[in-house]
Amino acid sequence: MKRLHGYALPYIVWMIVLALIPTLFLVVLAFSDLALFNLGSFSLTLANFSIISLDTTLKAMGNSLKFASITTIICFIIGYPVALYLSNLKEKTRKILIALLIVPLWSNMLLRITAWEKIFTPSSIFTDIFGLSFDLLGEDIAIIIAMVAMYLPFMIFPIFSVLEKLDTKLIEAAKDLGANDFQTFFRVIFPLSAGGIVSGTIMTFLPSMTAFALPQRIGLGSTTFIGNIIESKFRTEIMDFNGISINQGSMISLFLMLFSITAFILIVKFDKEGETLI
Amino acid sequence: MKKQSLFHSILKVVGLLLTISTFIIIYLPILIILIMSVNDSTRGYGWEGFTLKWYTALIVPSAYPEMTALPNLLNAISDTLLVAILSTIIATVLGTIFAIGINALSRKNRIRMVVLNNIPIVNPDIVTGISLLIVFSLLSFTLSFYTVLIAHVFFSIPYVVLSVLPKLKKLDPNMYEASLDLGCSRASGVGKVIIPNIATGILAGALLAFTMSIDDFVITYFTSGDEYLNVSTWLYTVLKHPRHFTPAVYAYNVIIFLITIIIIIFINNVRERKEKISHEKNI
Amino acid sequence: MKKILISLKHISKSFDDVKVLDDFNLDIYENEFVTLLGPSGCGKTTCLRLIGGFETPEEGIIEFDGKTINDLEPNQREINTCFQKYALFPHLNVFDNVAFGLKIKKIAKPIIKTRVEATLKLVKLDDFSNRSVSTLSGGQQQRVAIARAIINKPKVLLLDEPLGALDLKLRQEMQYELKEMQRELGITFVYVTHDQEEALTMSDTIVIMNEGKILQLGKPEDIYNEPKNRFVANFIGESNIFEGVMREDFLVSFCDREFECVDRGFDSNELVDVVIRPEDFDFVPPSKAKITGVVDSLIFKGVHYEINVIVDDHEYTIHTTKFRDVGQKVGLAVTPDNIHVMKRHQS
Repeated sequence: MKRLHGYALPYIVWMIVLALIPTLFLVVLAFSDLALFNLGSFSLTLANFSIISLDTTLKAMGNSLKFASITTIICFIIGYPVALYLSNLKEKTRKILIALLIVPLWSNMLLRITAWEKIFTPSSIFTDIFGLSFDLLGEDIAIIIAMVAMYLPFMIFPIFSVLEKLDTKLIEAAKDLGANDFQTFFRVIFPLSAGGIVSGTIMTFLPSMTAFALPQRIGLGSTTFIGNIIESKFRTEIMDFNGISINQGSMISLFLMLFSITAFILIVKFDKEGETLI
Repeated sequence: MKKQSLFHSILKVVGLLLTISTFIIIYLPILIILIMSVNDSTRGYGWEGFTLKWYTALIVPSAYPEMTALPNLLNAISDTLLVAILSTIIATVLGTIFAIGINALSRKNRIRMVVLNNIPIVNPDIVTGISLLIVFSLLSFTLSFYTVLIAHVFFSIPYVVLSVLPKLKKLDPNMYEASLDLGCSRASGVGKVIIPNIATGILAGALLAFTMSIDDFVITYFTSGDEYLNVSTWLYTVLKHPRHFTPAVYAYNVIIFLITIIIIIFINNVRERKEKISHEKNI
Repeated sequence: MKKILISLKHISKSFDDVKVLDDFNLDIYENEFVTLLGPSGCGKTTCLRLIGGFETPEEGIIEFDGKTINDLEPNQREINTCFQKYALFPHLNVFDNVAFGLKIKKIAKPIIKTRVEATLKLVKLDDFSNRSVSTLSGGQQQRVAIARAIINKPKVLLLDEPLGALDLKLRQEMQYELKEMQRELGITFVYVTHDQEEALTMSDTIVIMNEGKILQLGKPEDIYNEPKNRFVANFIGESNIFEGVMREDFLVSFCDREFECVDRGFDSNELVDVVIRPEDFDFVPPSKAKITGVVDSLIFKGVHYEINVIVDDHEYTIHTTKFRDVGQKVGLAVTPDNIHVMKRHQS
């Protein structure tokens, strides 16, 4: 099959045009006064940097990092034991349960956010049918619950897929060499699932950090995330053709990219061929 | 029967409890969506009785002229499905070809290409959305149906590639050479021998691409102009203007949800039957 | 004189800067059973893939029937291959696997049917035509792979370690069948293996390769009896190899003793390697023997015993049907025509 490597060439071009060039452009935009919609001469400047030092931006960054970290930690604490539990089940039950974990993802994400909004309203459909009321809308805890519900499967899948493939002979070998269950877990199983943990953490942390619809709906707009600022700088301003906001937005996006680059380095280190990502 | 250690028992109980909680927390919103889809209330603040009108409205919209928000939703639905179907077809074809190419590279270059491939998967949607927005404005494309289509093809291809690659890796590399040896040209060898043997991976990739496309919000939001709306961006807009909201969207979601489940069950059954047949032949 | 069918001239090929074949020359004759024999990594498979068209040489010419075929695609060559691990198409059943080549050539269906049935009969799989290939045993898969190749009536069949995955008994059976098939079909077989026994059993000509070079080419008997150097002697059969000195024609000295031999043409006092096959030693009473030693170990091998005898500082391996116990003092004799003297290679 070696002679078919030519089939990969157009993909390189495609990725350069749609992924690499815009990234470079983002850097230029962030450090200059170049107008995206009116390309012409431009000068380099650090002026856009000021957006990052604005109180609102700093607050938003703080919020993003805080909520993303808490969500990721909770997802890990719940997700790892669940993945471990599922991987030890009989094949048939295991397959059905994993399928059942995937099924909810086929519901529109925004609609699921709307559903959480309904759950957290003081007097909701929940109150009518179950007689329960969770008056949490606008509270931090509501955002965290909704985020965990949204991203938990993305923590479970990669860890599960690593644990499922784990050779049971390794566990038997560890026991044969005198390790008890506790030692077997911490010295063999856990280290070997590192790749899955890394993928799971990335797939939970990055989306929750960059979320903007969820905090806006569940947080009633009072808790601003970094995504909300980018949204306003790009999407809203595009319609007004107001140049400078886009440059500021690019600066913030670059800041986000630092996280994706870190993620890439981790993935390349732990899972070279990206097999745990889907 | 071997006695289980304390550590094992604790792990099992904790695992079971957390698994149950996981299912509750991720099925709760699904339950709400289901309830809302049969709730006879436009605003949805409470239970106002059972109805199937949101479902029938999707099928015969002309019968419900009083639902003023309905036409916009129907437009969004047809646009969503059109983009999903087209982008799935394009991404599946391209992704399969690219995967075959990547698989043929040396190990070092293959890893490089997989890293490149993973950019849209790992990058937060918002960054991908902005990047595409920049490309489109550099190329002076007006944001429209077509920019959304390109964007969806872009973020779907990597999932197809990742679904197909493991299947390719399992193939005996001599198999393709055998097809050439027996008279196939390079391209017909791919069609006659490689494709039939990675079909399950292609199908899985296509399914993934379709669900990613149909559910996408952020990237569509950044790459569509004002006139193009899919269900997600429509929803985001109307949530800010509740007068334009219609619970028919819940019904739409339930229908899509059921169709996906039926497809999966069908595919699984076919596969199991195939496995069973080859198993019986072995005996 | 037979006609040359395939000719490799001054072929060089490298992978990742490692030279696998270097100025490689080989002629293969019509209706010949040629075996490329050597350890893994010696370039034998690369050589086969060059002939099949799956690799292109960096330098040199490949000729087929007098015409250069360097740039011909595999599907344009009158050569078919039987791959290692068979490379059967899992999505097709036995019949369709075998019919694959004919279908590509768009041959009429009834003709395909007759030819597939005839070929399956030839490989003794006439009852298997509707079976899925994944349900076949290794030996049966092997037969399908051969049928799939020979149905196209190639002038040459290339076989890349085709018996490698089979168990010993089946392997021996298939060796015999392959040889029969080659005679029946009257085509050239180029066979790659690292198994010396396989090579000796089936081949008309054996090509011994190491590190991209041909070390010796000849009939199995000649290679076994007259290995050209230490490597060949070691690779083909088990050998006792001693460093020695050629005193004069027909007289060689090794292990501090002088022996009569049948070799000549060496310089006087030239350093040489001496090979004696383990089965060429005879036990004689120690008092009458030139070589005496003590049995060090004894392994029962079925047909014979493998006995290690320590003589002075040297260890001799002997295959014999006679029993000698460990610790027993024994005398050894070897006839002059069983002493093979080879030039020593500086390395």
